[in-house]
Amino acid sequence: MEVTFRIRRFNPEIPGKNKPYWQEFTLKDVEETDRVLELLHRIKWEQDGTLTLRRACAHGICGSDAMRINGVNRLACKVLVKEFPEGKKIQVEPILGLPVLKDLVVDMEPFFAHYRQVMPYLINDSPLPANGRERLQSPEDREKFDDTTKCILCACCTTSCPSFWANGEYVGPAAIVQAHRFIFDTRDEALKERLDVLSEPNGVWRCRTIYNCTPACPRDIQVTRAIGEVKLAIQRGKREGIVVDPPKHSGQGMG
Amino acid sequence: MTALVTTITETLRYRGAIGQWSWVLHRVTGLGVVLFLTLHVIDTSWAVFYPDLYVKAIAVYQTPLFTIGEFVLVACVIYHAFNGIRIIVFDYRPGWWKYQARAALLVLGLSIMVSIPVFVAMFGHVLAFYNDPMRQMLGLVEVIESQLPFAAGIGAAVIAAIIASAAFGAVTGEKTAAGIKRGSRIEKFWWSFMRVSGILIVPLVFGHLAMMHVIQGVFAITEVGHTVVGTTTPNVSGTAVEFVANRWNFLFAGVAVWRLYDFALLAMVVAHGFNGLRYVLTDYTMSSPLLRRAAVYLCVIGASVLLVLGGLALVNTIDSTAIQIASEAAEQLFAQ
Repeated sequence: MEVTFRIRRFNPEIPGKNKPYWQEFTLKDVEETDRVLELLHRIKWEQDGTLTLRRACAHGICGSDAMRINGVNRLACKVLVKEFPEGKKIQVEPILGLPVLKDLVVDMEPFFAHYRQVMPYLINDSPLPANGRERLQSPEDREKFDDTTKCILCACCTTSCPSFWANGEYVGPAAIVQAHRFIFDTRDEALKERLDVLSEPNGVWRCRTIYNCTPACPRDIQVTRAIGEVKLAIQRGKREGIVVDPPKHSGQGMG
Repeated sequence: MTALVTTITETLRYRGAIGQWSWVLHRVTGLGVVLFLTLHVIDTSWAVFYPDLYVKAIAVYQTPLFTIGEFVLVACVIYHAFNGIRIIVFDYRPGWWKYQARAALLVLGLSIMVSIPVFVAMFGHVLAFYNDPMRQMLGLVEVIESQLPFAAGIGAAVIAAIIASAAFGAVTGEKTAAGIKRGSRIEKFWWSFMRVSGILIVPLVFGHLAMMHVIQGVFAITEVGHTVVGTTTPNVSGTAVEFVANRWNFLFAGVAVWRLYDFALLAMVVAHGFNGLRYVLTDYTMSSPLLRRAAVYLCVIGASVLLVLGGLALVNTIDSTAIQIASEAAEQLFAQ
């Protein structure tokens, strides 16, 4: 099978050619079970060594190869050629809303700055239980934030969000998902601080429930739902009684 | 501005699902309704303050351009109402998100289903008017000219908001986006307000549309002897001013029900509409403190003007002199 790739290129190092442009590459002998990432590798290795992209594990765990593939944010390592019924043409461009450094590589720093803003770590300064062992939690309480522990920080959700495209100061879906993981953790004691951060004008209220983020997530996290639950937690000033009927395991396993 | 352009082009390019299009439609229909709301509240206040201008405003509503606008407006309100209910349901039940796409389709379907009979009824009024050999109508040029003061007023409000914002920036020396403080409770309040007011507005605005556009019809506002909708009194002079006077003076169990109704509608719709406008405008101006502040000021100016004008009109009385002025104005309007 022959497949044509249409790739958004950008190289600030070439004088006079520092504007983004589209370039096409045609690959022969493509199997329909090939992943987009492998084919991008083939282009880089066989045709144009300057094609720049980011990837590490190549198995849907590290979250480094998020890109917009045929109009939707995906991980290149999780997309098979056969997914595109329209077939032989695959369009690849960098995710939107973060500064493009080169070709498909974006500067993730603003994204991680928002991540740090929500204090994505367990805060609990009270003394350990008398027996010196771990702080116990019921399976039901653990279940409430299970879905949001799955995030791999690939930025697929945040860069699918029109509110984030318009306003890079908006913390974005991924940071809210990370906040959700601690807001609904009964062992955490920084509920108020986190809710305060997220009730700023660039916090959760910029979410217009557009639902682009939910299908964009390669880990099937129910992103818009998590954001909605954080909004309700802010409205009610507490975590109890908001996550009713927590999401079940999707059974999707590791990428 | 780049933020707005990026959002428009990329929303067209990104293959989002139906939720994305619902959001686009919600914004577009909301903006359309706010624009008409601005014209309409100012127009209606003239029934009290400038009866001759109100006569002309209603004559303008009875021209083809505004008839088309009327159909668009009604469709916008219906969609915005149903989609707003959908948004509210999923805001308070985030766990139901799996049904949001189906709900979005349902909203579209319901909007069309409700629009059809409403349009048929409204079109009946249009046909009756155009079949009337005695009908009188303003020309297109005159209609457009009559809207120039509004365009100028909106332009002036925009300029005033930008100047005020620049002045505020110069005085305080604020370079970063102002007013963004930790734990700000104000956005939390507005989020709830939009949802509560949204629910309250639906019956009020549907009732208003049903009375004015379906039962009475815009053309019958100036029909001599036509019983004014929601009252038992006929419009003797056949002027738009008497139409308003009959409604506002109508007492039910000793209460001026339509004044109260219109006041509730005015307060709710203005607050909801201009906060919605603030959401839209600030979404695209967060990178510029000057424009972001100006957007907020513009919404405050707009809402204040409408609340003051509309509120004052609602507590005033329309006497027989006003109706007399209106009758003369109506005669002169088509005499030229």
